[in-house]
Amino acid sequence: MTKFRTVSKMKEIMTNYYVEAKTTKEKPIAWITSGAPVEFLYAMDVIPIYPENHAAMCASAHQAMDVIDAAEAAGYSQDICSYARTDFGSAMTKGGPVGGLPEPDFLLCSTNICKTVIKWYETIARVKKVPLFVVDTPFLHEGLTQGLIDYSIQQFKDLERFLADFTKRPFDKDRYQNVLEMANESTDLWMSILRLGKTIPTPINAMDAFIHMAPIVTLRGTQECVDYYKELLVEVEERVEQGEASIPNEKYRVLWDNLPIWFRLSRLGKFFTEQQCAITAATYTNSWGGMVKGKWESDDIYEMMAASYLYNYINLGFKERIEYLAKLIEENSLTGFIMHSNRSCKPYSVGMYRLQEEVSALTGKPGIVIEADQNDSRAYSDAQVETRLEAFFESMDPVVTA
Amino acid sequence: MYKAFQDVISNVSATVLKHEASLGRPVIGVMPAYFPMELIDAAGGYPVQLWGNNLPIHHADAHLQGYCCSVARSMMELELRGSAKMVKAYAFTTLCDTLVNLREIYNRTFTKPDVVLSMPMTRTMEARRTYLKDGLKSVASGLESITGQKITDESLADAAACHGRTRELQRELYQIRRDKPGLIKNRDFYSVIKAGFFLPRAVYNEMLSELIQKLAPLEAPEGKRVSVVVSGLVFDPIDVFDIFDELGMDVVDDDFANGWRTVSKDTLQTSNLVEGVARYLYEAAPCCCLYNADNDRHDYLVEKVRSAKADGVLFWYINFCEPDAFDAPLLKARMKEEGIPNSSIDIDLTTTNLDAVKTRINAFAEILEG
Repeated sequence: MTKFRTVSKMKEIMTNYYVEAKTTKEKPIAWITSGAPVEFLYAMDVIPIYPENHAAMCASAHQAMDVIDAAEAAGYSQDICSYARTDFGSAMTKGGPVGGLPEPDFLLCSTNICKTVIKWYETIARVKKVPLFVVDTPFLHEGLTQGLIDYSIQQFKDLERFLADFTKRPFDKDRYQNVLEMANESTDLWMSILRLGKTIPTPINAMDAFIHMAPIVTLRGTQECVDYYKELLVEVEERVEQGEASIPNEKYRVLWDNLPIWFRLSRLGKFFTEQQCAITAATYTNSWGGMVKGKWESDDIYEMMAASYLYNYINLGFKERIEYLAKLIEENSLTGFIMHSNRSCKPYSVGMYRLQEEVSALTGKPGIVIEADQNDSRAYSDAQVETRLEAFFESMDPVVTA
Repeated sequence: MYKAFQDVISNVSATVLKHEASLGRPVIGVMPAYFPMELIDAAGGYPVQLWGNNLPIHHADAHLQGYCCSVARSMMELELRGSAKMVKAYAFTTLCDTLVNLREIYNRTFTKPDVVLSMPMTRTMEARRTYLKDGLKSVASGLESITGQKITDESLADAAACHGRTRELQRELYQIRRDKPGLIKNRDFYSVIKAGFFLPRAVYNEMLSELIQKLAPLEAPEGKRVSVVVSGLVFDPIDVFDIFDELGMDVVDDDFANGWRTVSKDTLQTSNLVEGVARYLYEAAPCCCLYNADNDRHDYLVEKVRSAKADGVLFWYINFCEPDAFDAPLLKARMKEEGIPNSSIDIDLTTTNLDAVKTRINAFAEILEG
């Protein structure tokens, strides 16, 4: 991993965030999916808590398997998403690095990352006996349409009514506008940082970005988030100016598709460093970067918000995914791409063999699919994955420097 | 009495080819689940339901990971090995994450046209209508371009009546089974339902009416046998029902996506198609794949078991089915709370050795017999 000064600041703001959530007496708590429109919550002083982010934290801290065991003992099959099992288990045992999450007052989930979240959140709603609001953002089999935009906006307006009822005060439109501006500023900053990854040698690789994405997921729409990414951007820009590489003697530059393997982040970080391979771009980290730019134009803020929540990488049909992957490979001067076939994430993984074939054919770059899981270490073998990756590295032509 | 139905399910290709030729209509493969097939008939297509099969997986491994369910994998196998040649186009719904992506894989891998009905998962009623209106328009025009025929008010009303009649007759059959447990062998019952996946409506309706007439005067066998409700996505492999028959158990009702969850749907209202399809999707028996908090699965299943006077519930789990797996623990806990014994079997459609399943069902039967 690259050493960034800002890491300590991130730890501080993330700690503050969890401390506030766990100690607040006044603010309601909502559990929310990573792709849900959090801006509405911040506008109404609701603290959003992200079970997905929490599950990733548990796995990075090597505390996921204990809580997963508890969920499985309670009957949750190994076939279901390991994030969900992590969170069910953590709720049962109060296990994990923050000792479990603060109890929710209501739930908000959006289907732009999967349909599985509906099942996950329905289960939480039953266990916790709290209301669930679903914002359905359907899969874009044929791209964005006005019908899909209108469908989403009608649900956003309903969400405003739900929040007004829940908090017993009118929805705060001014505050919402303000939150939206901060959210947009954060995503712009985040994308500026990620785009600097294209510099040869890359100043920040995806293993770093996986760590630094916590605020864009959880604090998007707050001033802390804006301030944090301003600082990080300055630091990454300095690295570009000084030609500091995140991986010494960068030889290969690749794309990572799908979630990280959280419980192997540090070992894989070392492995990639030894292999002189920088993971320069990742579809996952880009998912919080307003991918919709240039895909939909409107002066209406609701329309733009609907478009951006619909136009999420794993909510796209394969034609658009292929074009996007090829574009990232081209723009970042990549030598190949790695696809993580993630047992826990079917929307990301089912069809990956086809995608790999087509993207390779289109770009002429080698790609590899590795079988793993975001949180469940039983679905992972160091030896198998590393051997496959070594063979893959050998198949790549090293990066051409100017 | 059941031979004609059994012949259909053991000769699916020949059956479909024969009817395709006599109808002169293109075969549209209907993927799981809940696609309103009335629209296909109204557009002059011949809908054939695909709920997976028992082909050993060879070719599909190169396209679908081992953690995809056997429903998806076996359907892909069918197409890849060239056994689905008679299917001219596909109709998908957005039932689960695997099927959503499966449509994309088909779209990139094969050249057959398709239509997709995206099912809204919202409680915002206005939004649901907006979305279905848009979605149905695109499904209708897609079907029309596949068949080359327009959907008219008349053709839609006729198709709705015909499909509505099928489900009405199937409901009668379900009622006979409840009233006279043991009269219809478990395997026979599901052979009758399964034959309906492949036959044109008019042909199937006639066969069903005839069967019901024959069954009407007959009585249930004497004596009390163990009775269960079975719950799951897909009632295959059908050989599992032989186990119930051998053990003298009666399935008195079910909660299968391709069983009662579909059979329970009323005749599609076509005068206002958007409202009609919304009701068709959400007002019938609940499904783990259709988000509808106003139609609670727990209460529904408790009520079903009670009203069917069943001794217990058997959960029939198709491996890797996440929607079903998510619901299972709390649903089982609720059954326990209500004092309803339950057990489960885990299975793939492609499973051929049913020894473990038999042991499991046998053990459950012993518990129920007390």
